[in-house]
Amino acid sequence: MGHDMHIRNRQAIDMQAIQWIERLSRPVIDSAAAADFDRWILKDPQHVESYARMSALWQSDGLAAALHDPATRPAASNDDEDACDAPRSRHHLMRRRTVQAVASLCVLLVACIAVPRLLVTDRIFATGHGEMRTVSLPDGSTVRMDGETRIAVRITPWSRHVALERGEAFFDVAHERMRNFTVDTGRAAVSVLGTAFDIERVDADTRVIQVYRGLVSVEAGTGREWRLPAGSGLELSGERVRSLKDVEGDRPDWTSGWYEANDTPVAQLVQRLNRTAPKAVALADPALGELLVTGRFQTGDARGVLDAVAAIHDLHWRETNGRYLLER
Amino acid sequence: MLSSTRGAPYDIAQQDFDWCAVQVAVQRYIRGRGARHDIADDIAQEVIARLVQLTREQQIASVFALAFRIADNLLMDMHRRESRLSAEIDDDWRSDEPSLDRVLDSRRAIDIFDRCLKRMPQLRREVLMRRRLHQESCRAIGEDLGISAKAVEKHITRGMIDLRRALDHAGIDLVGQD
Repeated sequence: MGHDMHIRNRQAIDMQAIQWIERLSRPVIDSAAAADFDRWILKDPQHVESYARMSALWQSDGLAAALHDPATRPAASNDDEDACDAPRSRHHLMRRRTVQAVASLCVLLVACIAVPRLLVTDRIFATGHGEMRTVSLPDGSTVRMDGETRIAVRITPWSRHVALERGEAFFDVAHERMRNFTVDTGRAAVSVLGTAFDIERVDADTRVIQVYRGLVSVEAGTGREWRLPAGSGLELSGERVRSLKDVEGDRPDWTSGWYEANDTPVAQLVQRLNRTAPKAVALADPALGELLVTGRFQTGDARGVLDAVAAIHDLHWRETNGRYLLER
Repeated sequence: MLSSTRGAPYDIAQQDFDWCAVQVAVQRYIRGRGARHDIADDIAQEVIARLVQLTREQQIASVFALAFRIADNLLMDMHRRESRLSAEIDDDWRSDEPSLDRVLDSRRAIDIFDRCLKRMPQLRREVLMRRRLHQESCRAIGEDLGISAKAVEKHITRGMIDLRRALDHAGIDLVGQD
């Protein structure tokens, strides 16, 4: 009877613990909830214990493996058979644990020295006109930045956050099972676990997101949310949304100096050219920017691109006042 | 050498935490994750040192959530280094690590999870998969599956309780590793 009570009580605490784990794994935690959590932890030592056990369960790779479709999971090997054996002799276990403890302690000492003291890193990276740059973040992720691009990076023990303030960047994100990686573009926030994707801030309203590996989720406020698997993308422009298919290769073409236009407005192509071209490209009439082009363009060769665009739409371009002007 | 004064200096008094209580909770947390006493003590001390530094630089919404997160990271760093190290050590030293994390990642645990998940209603399994594997929000999951966000949370809670019970029944005790 007392035993039953105990079980029921434990289960009630476990349920609260899971609810907290779920809430705290959201990208944003509001301060009232955060304060509630602290109160809950302080209230009863059993709460911490339950939270620890359920966290271990929730975060375990074992659970992740079981949640993957069993059909796609590699067949069981017999290597770990001994894990199912009857308990080993106490003596044997003790010896192992002692060895383990010594090993762990050595490692812990190393870890404490090697891990940087400062936990929150805030950094800003920017590229100038025509400059391409790859930066490595402290978590092992890399960001390849196109010209005229600026990012602000903030890495804390529980989050990885990048603000793409201008330009375009290709993110190759180190997999971590606990820290989300979020890119904020002002209009849309992109969250990932471990993946590679490209985001472009085309203008004040337009964002283009393309996914090369893994899965990302895009949130554009007012409850608009999309999940994009590898090979797909999204173009957000104000309220309009266009889904992009055929995102191919393992990284975007611009990282090697190419731009793949796919029914892309000329304005977008021009903007891209202007990140690297020796002279600015201007449109004689803003309406020209709405014409669509398809094809692969070498962004290092502005004149060649203008020739191609002019040929497609029967336009002309000339050099004037130190810039290239595209006109009818 | 300067005489060592560990703990909070005076100038951070505006964010007034009971560091002792935090340290005890962190110790308990790490113990709860199956680590040994001495390791829990060391990690808890490191966590507090870092928290003290952090509170100097910024406002912290939840000390405990942050403390546990730092502890998770330190534990993970430790395991990572350990497994790198153990790859170089002879076989006899490996394989039988008693930490809770290793137990939960074992072939046997996966089989238990597998069986338990198969017995769950399809919807619950789907919810767990989307939340845990794909990090989808409860709201997004609910919208996709035609249920409320609250119902999604309930499925997660229920599912996790089922999983824990399955471990219990199989004799894998999440409580106490000594």
